[in-house]
Amino acid sequence: MSNVNAVVFTIVVVLFVIVALIGFAASRWRKADDMMLLSEWGLGGRGFGTFIGWFLLGGDLYTAYTFIAVPALVFASGAIGFYAVSYTIMVFPIAFIFLPRLWSISRVHNYITPADFIRGRYGSRGLGLASAFTGILSLMPYIALQLVGIQAVLTVMGVAANSTNTYVKDTPLFVAFVVLAIYTYVSGLRAPAAISFIKDTLIYVFVLVAVFYIPTRLGGWSHIFGAAQTHMAAINPATKKPNGAFIPTPHALGSTQFDFASLAFGSAVALFLYPHTITGALATKSRNVVKRNMALLPAYSVLLACIALFGYMAIADKTTAAEVKKAGNTQLAVPYLLQHMFPSWFTGIAFAGIIIGALVPAAIMAIAAANLFTRNIFKEFFKPDASPRLETRVSQWASLVVKFGALAFAVWLPHTFAINLQLLGGVWILQIFLMLVFGLYTRWFHRWALMAGWATGMIYGTIAAYNVHSDTSSHWASSSDIVFGHTVYIGFTALILNIVVSVVLTLVFKAARLPAGTDETLPHQYTADPAEAPVAAPAGVGVVSD
Amino acid sequence: MTEPPANPSAARDPLDPPPARPENPIAAHPVTSAAIGVLVLAAILCTLIVPIYARETPKVGDFPFFYFYLLIYMPATALALWIAMLLQRRLKPRNPAETGTADGPVPGGAR
Repeated sequence: MSNVNAVVFTIVVVLFVIVALIGFAASRWRKADDMMLLSEWGLGGRGFGTFIGWFLLGGDLYTAYTFIAVPALVFASGAIGFYAVSYTIMVFPIAFIFLPRLWSISRVHNYITPADFIRGRYGSRGLGLASAFTGILSLMPYIALQLVGIQAVLTVMGVAANSTNTYVKDTPLFVAFVVLAIYTYVSGLRAPAAISFIKDTLIYVFVLVAVFYIPTRLGGWSHIFGAAQTHMAAINPATKKPNGAFIPTPHALGSTQFDFASLAFGSAVALFLYPHTITGALATKSRNVVKRNMALLPAYSVLLACIALFGYMAIADKTTAAEVKKAGNTQLAVPYLLQHMFPSWFTGIAFAGIIIGALVPAAIMAIAAANLFTRNIFKEFFKPDASPRLETRVSQWASLVVKFGALAFAVWLPHTFAINLQLLGGVWILQIFLMLVFGLYTRWFHRWALMAGWATGMIYGTIAAYNVHSDTSSHWASSSDIVFGHTVYIGFTALILNIVVSVVLTLVFKAARLPAGTDETLPHQYTADPAEAPVAAPAGVGVVSD
Repeated sequence: MTEPPANPSAARDPLDPPPARPENPIAAHPVTSAAIGVLVLAAILCTLIVPIYARETPKVGDFPFFYFYLLIYMPATALALWIAMLLQRRLKPRNPAETGTADGPVPGGAR
């Protein structure tokens, strides 16, 4: 602990304590009559308006992954890292199309998780289970990624970095995580919603200051871009190839353009399939709040673009670049850059922003995974008569288990490229696209065909990701693969395979007249807005009246 | 939940109010619907088709075109979606009462 800067450390600890207190106090915020309902603990009472919804969703979508891994990728490979910018732009028009429908149907039927909807739509417990399983599986690495982000900051702060013992080294991480786990247990979704205000304020302040101030220290933007361009074009002695591409190259020059687009598109489609983003969206109080936020959230993408540019700043700053190289971990690029460019007190604020920025999404993800477990595994298969109170209890405990699972994930798995962990989760979650998004529009697909398509996509995606190797790693090197001469995001190929299998088998199963299952939803419920008009009641009456 | 409606359009309970939207809103407002479609689709395609902007020149200030484009694109998307949202409101069939009740009590779902 010899090289810990006292000012930085104190500011981070103070802000962390404030956030923890707010997390606990949040259980009294917008208090409901019965806090032991799952829609209270797990969805914050479904009552957040545009303003809180914006902070909550922003805090949910733009995670520590954003602040650490994206500039790390830009630092290492150049323009391809900006796929994250393209992806967070594309995600909003895509979600604008289907998210309001999911919101409406979930409100009418009191669905808490996306798997609830899939189960109700296809009358299939198996599909519900498959999607819940996929959701939990993809959230694990995503939560782990938040921890990796915290670790990067702690390393640069010098906290226990010189210990070789994993358990000593990760003690601060454990402490942060236990506190997070407890206040999530107590306050549910209200905790991250309240904390996201602080998180976003800190992040906005530090990013805007950094993006105007750092270029003045580094000789302006022209120098930053110039240094980056030179560095990307330089030949790497280890691989005998250029370090990266400054502008995505067309097919003739190695085709990073197709990779860029398929990565961006695949990730954009995947983002609102993740249970935690759906949790955030379902916590809003009306259909229009969802739509309005799709138009307002791109403001965060501006921030993300600035953060991605930090990667180039780190290249342009000789000291930072040298230190990152010495540490052999590109994820340290942003923390080192901030440390060199700012006085201690401001570095403390920035570091606290990143750490808190990891805690908000980690809490929402754990809640989302816990809800999936409770609703679609525990209640569905083990205790169908579980009371709402028991549901909430189980969810609270499950959120603890999920968090510690992710902690194990982060401590034991290699995290040279944290971004690839999350991309593997993206490959998996994309496989529920058909049942969820197509399911919002059509009942054409047969449930068993969807199941087979899902299984195909999952197996193909995992094997393909496992087999990708590079000069430095034998497996899991990347989530892009070469298909028909193009470098393509694996999730994308897996999804196409999934669609083909589902379509073909649907035709076969329909011809064989296999039972299609019952659909508990009605067409007009997909556009219902219960806050505006009582559409919910007639729908319910229509079903029960027989 | 005993007998799910196999054919939702048939055999409605006589006490039920008529369906909220008797006519298809898209058919009723073809121009508005097309405008919404174009806005949303353009927002997706103009960043999906990378060759449009994967170039260094023209530089805008010190920013190569690729980076400038991505920066400018975000406010543009926000604007496009906001307009699309406003247009969608016009698709709703004439129902003047709806604007006043946006903050009314929320029924807690079907059951």
